[in-house]
Amino acid sequence: MLVQSLILAAIHAMVPLTVTATGEILSERAGVVNIGLEGILLISAFTAVIGAEAGGPLAGLMVGLLTGALLGLIHGIIAVYFRGDQTVSGVGLNILALGVVAIGIVDRWGAAGFHRVDRAFRVQPLSTPLGAMSPMVIVTILLAALTWYLLQHTNLGLKIQACGENPAAADAAGVRVERVRMFGAIYAGALTGLAGAYLSVDWLATITENLPAGRGFIALATVVFSRLNPWLAVVGGLIFGFFDALGLIASTSQELTRIIPYQFIQMMPYVVTLLVVAGVIGRFRSPSASGQAYRRE
Amino acid sequence: MPDRSAPPAGAAGQYKPVSVLAGAPPWLEMRGITKVYPNGTRALENVDLRVAKGEIHGLLGENGAGKSTLMKILSGILPFTSGRILLGGREVSLRSTHDALAHGIGMVHQHFSLVPTFNALDNIILGRGASLASPDRAAARKRIQRLMEETGLHAPLDIPIEQLPVGTQQRIEILKTLDRNVDLLILDEPTAVLTPQETDQLFEVLNGLAARGTTIILITHKLREVLALTNAVTVLRSGRVVGSRLTEGATAQDLARMMVGTERLPEVKERRQHEKTEPVLRVAGLTVKGDGGQDAVKNVSFEINAGEIFAIAGVTGNGQSELIEALSGLRPIANGRAYLLGHSINGKGPRELYRMGLAHVPEDRHRLGMVAQFSVLENSILGVHHEPRFRRGLPGTLHWGKVRRYARDLVHRFQVVTPSLATPMRSLSGGNQQKLVVGRELAKSPSLIIAGQPTRGLDVGATAAIRDLLVDIRNEGKAVLLVSADLDEVLALADRVAVMYEGEILAILERHEFDRERIGLLMGGVHDGSAAG
Amino acid sequence: MDPRPVEQRELEALSRRERQRQLRGTFAGLAEIVVALVIGLFVGALVMDGAGYDWKLAYEGLLIGAFGDQWAIADTLASATPLILTGLVFGLSARAGYFNIGAQGQMIVGALAAVAVGAHVSAPPVMAVTLTFLAAALAGALWALPAALLKATRGVHEVISTIMFNWIAHYTALYMVFNVLNDPRSAERTVRVLPEARLGAIIPGADMTAAIFVAVGVALFMYWLLWHSPWGYEMRIAGLNPSALRYAGASPLWSVNLTFILAGIAAGIAGATQIIGRPPTYALYGDLSNVRNLGFDGIAVALIGRNHPLGIILAAIFIGAMGAGSRMMQIMAGVPLDMVRIVHGTVIIALAAPEVWSLLGKFLSRGRARREAASTAHSKTVQR
Repeated sequence: MLVQSLILAAIHAMVPLTVTATGEILSERAGVVNIGLEGILLISAFTAVIGAEAGGPLAGLMVGLLTGALLGLIHGIIAVYFRGDQTVSGVGLNILALGVVAIGIVDRWGAAGFHRVDRAFRVQPLSTPLGAMSPMVIVTILLAALTWYLLQHTNLGLKIQACGENPAAADAAGVRVERVRMFGAIYAGALTGLAGAYLSVDWLATITENLPAGRGFIALATVVFSRLNPWLAVVGGLIFGFFDALGLIASTSQELTRIIPYQFIQMMPYVVTLLVVAGVIGRFRSPSASGQAYRRE
Repeated sequence: MPDRSAPPAGAAGQYKPVSVLAGAPPWLEMRGITKVYPNGTRALENVDLRVAKGEIHGLLGENGAGKSTLMKILSGILPFTSGRILLGGREVSLRSTHDALAHGIGMVHQHFSLVPTFNALDNIILGRGASLASPDRAAARKRIQRLMEETGLHAPLDIPIEQLPVGTQQRIEILKTLDRNVDLLILDEPTAVLTPQETDQLFEVLNGLAARGTTIILITHKLREVLALTNAVTVLRSGRVVGSRLTEGATAQDLARMMVGTERLPEVKERRQHEKTEPVLRVAGLTVKGDGGQDAVKNVSFEINAGEIFAIAGVTGNGQSELIEALSGLRPIANGRAYLLGHSINGKGPRELYRMGLAHVPEDRHRLGMVAQFSVLENSILGVHHEPRFRRGLPGTLHWGKVRRYARDLVHRFQVVTPSLATPMRSLSGGNQQKLVVGRELAKSPSLIIAGQPTRGLDVGATAAIRDLLVDIRNEGKAVLLVSADLDEVLALADRVAVMYEGEILAILERHEFDRERIGLLMGGVHDGSAAG
Repeated sequence: MDPRPVEQRELEALSRRERQRQLRGTFAGLAEIVVALVIGLFVGALVMDGAGYDWKLAYEGLLIGAFGDQWAIADTLASATPLILTGLVFGLSARAGYFNIGAQGQMIVGALAAVAVGAHVSAPPVMAVTLTFLAAALAGALWALPAALLKATRGVHEVISTIMFNWIAHYTALYMVFNVLNDPRSAERTVRVLPEARLGAIIPGADMTAAIFVAVGVALFMYWLLWHSPWGYEMRIAGLNPSALRYAGASPLWSVNLTFILAGIAAGIAGATQIIGRPPTYALYGDLSNVRNLGFDGIAVALIGRNHPLGIILAAIFIGAMGAGSRMMQIMAGVPLDMVRIVHGTVIIALAAPEVWSLLGKFLSRGRARREAASTAHSKTVQR
């Protein structure tokens, strides 16, 4: 019983990590790194609630996706056309998000820092042999499959990889490097936005000032774990998700918190992320031109 | 593909001289091209170029004359400030490589435009076909195989580019360009990385292509190549056209005069003879691993004496870089030993080696030898910055006044032209950057100086100055290890030459044994009439 | 006739031009920052306007709260104190090429150490304060070191590792506050540090203490380190061209460790300033609210200060003013405190893309060039 609910919880915790990581994988392959994923998760989680309360859960998911795409677009313009510092831009996004959402919650619902999403506006779960499961789990697998197919089996995939490895070569081959990279940045933003919406109008059914709680960064660790392969992002998402779920479940279990203080249980996903990134994976080579602006001459 | 249905302009290998200067109608015209960079540098000034269909046209000039810039404009990579480009009499707009390829213009760059992790096939189909469709590798393979047979350019299609030798990479680059139905093929210094024999092969292929109607523009600074291959030549100097002429009847002296102006080609300084002494550097059975873990240097042995320039010749990428890095403490020695003045250098780092009397002018000056954003002042003490002579009384404080005096002295002695000591290194010309790097290393008063490609990419003046410095310190009785891919440089400077091929030293030749043909064969792995390895 | 040789005259003319160019460069750098700040304030006004607040009143409140009287100014400087230090954490690391966003965690650990030592070690006042600062610095450095080692030995990207360490520090602190350093008399904070370890208010009624001098002192030390010591010289090489570092005979491992240790020291001291240098609590709150976000604000400070220790002092005063003034903003216009975060984020995003300005300049000059070209008789095609 506990095992079953833990597995189910791990699968649900996997969704935001894998969806976000999947988008970022494509973006990094194209050469744009976005460490502002945490901020995009937060803002789109917030706008998704507004969307859901206005037009139902599906509208919420769409609003989240579009919000993410828009933020990805902004980051992409800075990274690709203005050849700005991608890391700085990402950090700016994270800080901006904290402000926007904190104010937004107060402005929208009058309560500081916290708003619960009513059942009517949440994504309705499917019933499965394991128990009630969000349809977003299936979407996650589909997105991983789609991204994998795009990267490995299409001409676009070749272009994307070339833009990350050697943009000058791609350019010489007639690939429009800027457009491909913009596609990557927007794709990552859109998927992250969808993941953000899932956090608020589905899984956690709430919006707070810091809802993602570092999941945007754990998704970045998942990207590293995956070696830029979307299928491995599913595996990584499950591993990190398992400890995330363990923390969430265990911290409400009286017997457990008596033995291990709940703070240490909640710390677990972060410790595990560190250990996995440091120990299991070791070094891996990211695309040579990833994170660098492309400039002719 | 070039229009191969058209009747060839002549029997294969024996083409009819075609050139605008010989009365043929111009097919490509560049009129009054001017290029001004945003920082105000005028790279090209009112340049005209006219080329006939099926012509092989040489674009000759020194480094920095503007040859590459002009061709990058023609292939859509660089925008230009003013001027017009006409193709077949009609003005064309070339705003991207995409546009240029659509007009049948393709360029093979000096630094190849290949994705290192892709194989040849994927590199060739990159950027083609509908985005969401699957790449049609089978059809492409068939097409490329046919192209390989037609042109005589052969390359493996399924091995990642990064695992292939440069000569092969270049063939893939040309195949890739030809596969784009290119009528105009631009080649930027294509022989820089080839052995003399590979060069001959390439020229044969190019002649064949021209005979089939492909127009070719060859960028080069080598007179021999212009004379051997082209119908006509246009010479550029400092961004302006000096003149165009038919190759037929031209001599190397004529072209050289056009290229460098009236100044005489500088002679290398006279060398003084030395008594034989204890070797300064002794290398015994050295093996060094490359980045991929393979043996990049295999069981290499040699000695360098005081007062001698010992050169290592070879095509780039045959283990020379790894050898230099191992000897300068930047890369671990996997096996064997090396001794500097009798002391083992195994396991020693750059700072210890400096104290033992080693100076190192690195091959890749931008990556290793300098910090581009640092000022000339700051770069002048790179590697000696920790020494007490640059300190102040307060513990650990750098005495910038002392550094300034030191840097000013370097700039004077080695004639580095810089607006000021505060100028960032990256604003200096390549020649002046290298003069500072060489000067800084010589000022260490070393017993051995390792110089990797010391004149690569420099103009004639700077090249001569640096070669003179190397001969000077040789004459002072120091040992010099020169690694150079430029055969002319090696022949001009070296007392002895070792030829490296696939990590091994195939032969060490004394000065009286120097022979261009023989060294060329060794560089291609051909040893005493048989292929090595 | 000028008797000096031609080369020397040329050299001097060139170096004059060089100086002018440098001056222009500095000016352009300052202008970029000012424009970014204006954009940030503008976007802030837009958001407030959209959310139905009176943005003019809000900014008036911000100004009064930050600089209205001597108490306001003292509060601004008090807010700036930890930000100078956390700004240095990011700035120093960035100069050495690392994206160390671990100031938050390192600072929390420093604050814990400050409580532990300050509340339990009895000593003469100067001694107690020094000991507390040292303990906090040590704790911050130790907390920063693993990220450096993971980077150097395992290639773990510091953004991921430092963020994870931040969360681990966060939960460790929550545990410590309630279980180890808890005060039996108050559920919402730790024990308070002993009176001899406390720094008193310089102006009674305002928060500013001598901690600001410590922060400025650390900034000056960092300045000396970076530009006047061989170690800083090596750190800057590491940041600009890591390959050249080994060529220059320095050890990359030593460089990354030194950078993170020094950054950790600054972060630890920042934590201590919030415990022993900020009246009236002299303890760590249970919700960590007196160290909340200071590490992240340090990133904004460093980026606005262009990672230069002296620029960081000025930027910290700016961000500190927004922090101190935001309370008055809330009182006067009802705008939530987090409003200032929108301004920070926008400023940083604007600063991320310096090419916007050069593109803008190019766009304007292209318009001019086009008009000129059109006016000449032989108009040539102008491309792009």
